[in-house]
Amino acid sequence: MMFLRQLKGELHKLFARKRTYIGYVVFLVFEALLLTLWVQVGRDQFEALAKRNFVPVELLSSSLTATYWIMGFSMFLLGSIYFALVSGDIVAKETEDGNMRMVLARPVSRLRILILKYCAVIIYTITFVIFVGVTGYSMSLLAMGSEGGLFIWNPDMYILAIYPDREEAFWRLFVGACFMGLSMCVVSSLGFFFSCLKIKPAAASVMALSVFFIDFVLQNIPFLVNYKDVFITYRMANWVYVLQENIPWDRIVESYSILMGLNVSLFILGWMAFQARDFKT
Amino acid sequence: MLSVKNLTKKFAGKDALKGISFEVSRGEIYGLLGHNGAGKSTTLGIILSMVAAGSGEVLIGGVSVQKNPRKALQKVGSIFESPAFYDYMSGWENLKVLVGLSGPFDEGKAREVVERVGLTKRIDSKVSAYSHGMRQRLALAQALLPEPEILLLDEPTDGLDPEGIKWFRDFVLGLREERGMTVLFNSHLLSEVEQMCDRVSIIRAGELVYEGAVNDLRDDRPTLKITATPSEVLTEVAVRFQGEQMSGDRWVFPEGTAIPELIRSLVEAGAEVEEVTPVRRSLEDVYLEHSSLSSS
Repeated sequence: MMFLRQLKGELHKLFARKRTYIGYVVFLVFEALLLTLWVQVGRDQFEALAKRNFVPVELLSSSLTATYWIMGFSMFLLGSIYFALVSGDIVAKETEDGNMRMVLARPVSRLRILILKYCAVIIYTITFVIFVGVTGYSMSLLAMGSEGGLFIWNPDMYILAIYPDREEAFWRLFVGACFMGLSMCVVSSLGFFFSCLKIKPAAASVMALSVFFIDFVLQNIPFLVNYKDVFITYRMANWVYVLQENIPWDRIVESYSILMGLNVSLFILGWMAFQARDFKT
Repeated sequence: MLSVKNLTKKFAGKDALKGISFEVSRGEIYGLLGHNGAGKSTTLGIILSMVAAGSGEVLIGGVSVQKNPRKALQKVGSIFESPAFYDYMSGWENLKVLVGLSGPFDEGKAREVVERVGLTKRIDSKVSAYSHGMRQRLALAQALLPEPEILLLDEPTDGLDPEGIKWFRDFVLGLREERGMTVLFNSHLLSEVEQMCDRVSIIRAGELVYEGAVNDLRDDRPTLKITATPSEVLTEVAVRFQGEQMSGDRWVFPEGTAIPELIRSLVEAGAEVEEVTPVRRSLEDVYLEHSSLSSS
């Protein structure tokens, strides 16, 4: 009960800040832009591609397919920036501003403070991904109507899937969005870890993004294609396997176990660094 | 109530504290005096478990801060020089978040404390709109929730206007009067320490160079400001009366020295006496003496 009350306080701190909402506003604009581009330019190309492959275009050029593209394109690149910014701030900003001394003067352990902050960041991350999914889908519905199924074509992950049944397509996409949320928690964990170190909040965010993008670049180097499994961003992209016709659960479980292990390791390392620090003016 | 035992601490290999020990009894107001960087804030940091001690121990109400910080800090309320609140939240929201870390937030009790510190009208305003004095009142409110037995004040009146300083002083003295609150007061404002504290410690370069009652620290020996020429004659006569030159034209004489006789002797020795003024030696004089004595 006490933990939930304290978590509520932590979430209140996070969501009482105006800049927490900058990400939401930017994403709404970005989603609208992507959707416009999809309707104006992308749909024609997609329909041409579908026709060449004898795919029933009228069923698949739909709001669900548009939502898949919006989420896939926006989250990894733009989402990672916001998650790194928020998680990089979560401890380091309070330390820099002096709030942390007020918190530490209370009879509460440092571990509990970090657990509260980590939970807040994870809740922010997952709800943000769901927000992008819901708003992306709502905009797509408005622009394209509620007809049609889902067409997935992801050459990097070797996936080509067609779901003419809208209900199945919807649930596949929803579960995919949930796994994507779990994937993005890795970026937040990276930001959180760096935030626990004795560095400025901006430095924590930059460090987290650096690790993320270096991993992403390395993963895409052609001669490292046989080593993709060792890269975090490749494991994070495994959410898309939920959209494969025969879901490779063993692969998904393996990847998410690794990502979960990484999150836990980053939390423990952050806690150890935070625990060893002296807080003084 | 508070027992600090042989604290040591090093920062980057340099000694910040070299075996500080002192005790504060229940209901006592105890002052920690020292220059900036002397080790006062480090001592307070160790008491609040924000800084790890190299060695030594702090007991609050018999509970070790090093072994059981959560339990020990349940009895403590603290205020810092520049209390950092969440500026984008209201005073009331700040109280809820901070006090909620200690346990359940009792709204009725909180309203009482807010009224007592005189923030009722502004408690729902954002803290970013607060003056320094209002922030300090809010800091006092959060320190008093839930009911602490000891208050740790780290240079709390810095930056306050004279009215604010007086209000703060009266408030803390009132807390001691009503609740028997124990207070550890860390400051370099000697006049504040002099007016508030029962006992005082002077810390210099990480060492405790003096500990005693504020009244004992005051020196009742007569101190005079003497302007007379030639200075050699002044020195000769003053030394004859067992005077010690403190700084510039200030001289301290043994208790019971007959001042009229001293002046007469100066005149008879051919000195032109322009001014002889009794000076009350402040705590500052004594503090500086102790500081310089320990450094020499």
